[in-house]
Amino acid sequence: MPLIPMTDSLLRVRDLSVRFRLPEGEVTAVDHVSFDVAPGEVLGIVGESGSGKSQILFSLMGLLAGNGRVSGAAHFAGQDLLAMSPRALDHVRGVAMSMIFQDPMTSLSPYKRVGDQLAEGLIVHKGLSRRDAGREAVRMLDRVRIPDAARRARSYPHEFSGGMRQRVMIAMALLVKPRLLLADEPTTALDVTIQAQIIDILAELAREIGTAIIFVTHDLGVVARLCDRVIVLYGGRIMEEGPAAPLFAAPAHPYAKGLLHATPRIAAPLTPRLETIAGAPRAGGAMLPGCPFAPRCDQRIDICQTTPPPLKAIAPGRLAACHLTGETA
Amino acid sequence: MLRFLTKRAGDGILTLAALVTLTFFVMRLAPGGPFSSNRKISPDILANIEATYHLDEPLLQQFLRYVWGVVRFDFGPSIRFRDYSVADILISGLPYSLTIGFWAVMVATVTGVTLGILGALKRNSIIDYSAGVIAVIGIAVPIFVLAPLMQVYFALTLRWLPVGGWGDSWRNLVLPIVALSLPNIAYISRLTRAAMIETLRENYIRTAVAKGIGGRRVVWNHALTGAVLPVVAYLGPATAAIITGSIVIETIFALPGIGRHFVDAALNRDYPLVMGITILYGGFLIVFNILADILRGWLDPRVRNE
Repeated sequence: MPLIPMTDSLLRVRDLSVRFRLPEGEVTAVDHVSFDVAPGEVLGIVGESGSGKSQILFSLMGLLAGNGRVSGAAHFAGQDLLAMSPRALDHVRGVAMSMIFQDPMTSLSPYKRVGDQLAEGLIVHKGLSRRDAGREAVRMLDRVRIPDAARRARSYPHEFSGGMRQRVMIAMALLVKPRLLLADEPTTALDVTIQAQIIDILAELAREIGTAIIFVTHDLGVVARLCDRVIVLYGGRIMEEGPAAPLFAAPAHPYAKGLLHATPRIAAPLTPRLETIAGAPRAGGAMLPGCPFAPRCDQRIDICQTTPPPLKAIAPGRLAACHLTGETA
Repeated sequence: MLRFLTKRAGDGILTLAALVTLTFFVMRLAPGGPFSSNRKISPDILANIEATYHLDEPLLQQFLRYVWGVVRFDFGPSIRFRDYSVADILISGLPYSLTIGFWAVMVATVTGVTLGILGALKRNSIIDYSAGVIAVIGIAVPIFVLAPLMQVYFALTLRWLPVGGWGDSWRNLVLPIVALSLPNIAYISRLTRAAMIETLRENYIRTAVAKGIGGRRVVWNHALTGAVLPVVAYLGPATAAIITGSIVIETIFALPGIGRHFVDAALNRDYPLVMGITILYGGFLIVFNILADILRGWLDPRVRNE
């Protein structure tokens, strides 16, 4: 695949597929997805619920549910994450790759002090003493702007609000100065007023440390604000990929167009109804022979239902998987 | 902590007072009395005896007399065992029941929690199935069936251990302790297994794994607390029940504990002894529930504020 830049990528994912074995049969959640992340780059993965975007992160982290199977390759700093021994993967997760999750209310242990939960990774993976690790934890809590960090480090998670807990999660994820951070809808469960703060703290710290981020979300506003590059996912496949600004200015794939069109804007003139994409998102089930978006696409032609469109270049650095867009480049 | 203890102790005394009142009057509703045996006693003698025990007074007066005794730690004479006070009877039997009960609780907790965790970690393995079989046997087969079988096999056939009785040797204690702990091993292991499986599915466990905290450390350092919390809650009332003795165990193994009085005293209408046993058991229940709550608060900071 010469279309994807091969130079100095931090993470190189090739033909990643995730399948789940369910009582009613096997379901493909992620279907032959390939992409790269450069050091320090912020990549956004957007798509509706069930598009497989979170499962990409879980498979990279080795956190798939028991009935999940992954295939393909994911080279991170030269090693294949998907073929590693559990021990080696623990080490990578401990020092080089972190993850923050969607639900900050349940993602911290209710039984341990926040400071101890932060310090644990440093003690286990970087060999710091309890005291030094504790001091580092307080410093990091201070940097995610938790007021009175030294005292708050001795508090328990239930004494924090949702936004504060997500800051704790960010502090915990960045404490080991990872090279890659996987963020799975970290603001979805938070108040709208707090979302922007969290995003700003995350972006600022990641830039300082030089951490690359894969940011999974369905919030296009967040992507536009934060991401260098964007992947639009539908039915487990990449529909469109490219630098954030041009992709948002002129989306090429009908699904990307629909997604952008369906985002309400405060500045825009009032329409009587919110825009939607017709039909319901694909939720599992058997793979279609053609394009996964074809049943909902208002521009589909016959070939869309029989042959999957290949991902091809439509402009420098931009890729789209649509039978209609190839020729314009 | 001090405020919590004072409040719980106050609640406990109120509960005990309610228990004493209720038991006293409900007990008297039951037909018959301590002297209504088959043997005919002449009315004069009966009146005489009843006067000795103040049973001829109005019920309310008897109640006040009893309560006045209790606050001075005088629990009255046993009617059935003449020449012995209720306190004498309980104090002489309690050490046996406490010893057997204490070890049974220890054995049940350690074995039950261990089996439960192993079962949860290696689901559908040999260990899990064996623990399941033990649990089903322990819960479904009554002690009065298991204990004699154990006597036949370990004492009479193999001759490893004495059949019963209280001796100087620890070997006398083995069979009663095992028999008393079996149903609790069964229950605690099921409780632990379910709680551990549930805890391992929690998001905070996933967070720990994502931090690169490997297999064993996740279980011991992160999941264990969640898995033992239900056991702690169960152990409060269970400990009170176990250490106050079991009539079945004490009868089968011929032990001089207080378990048999629970049934005998009621059947004999030995009113003061029934009251004494009720206060003892109620007191243990209250104390061990407070201890369990303290332990729960120590393990789970969210409980502390309640």
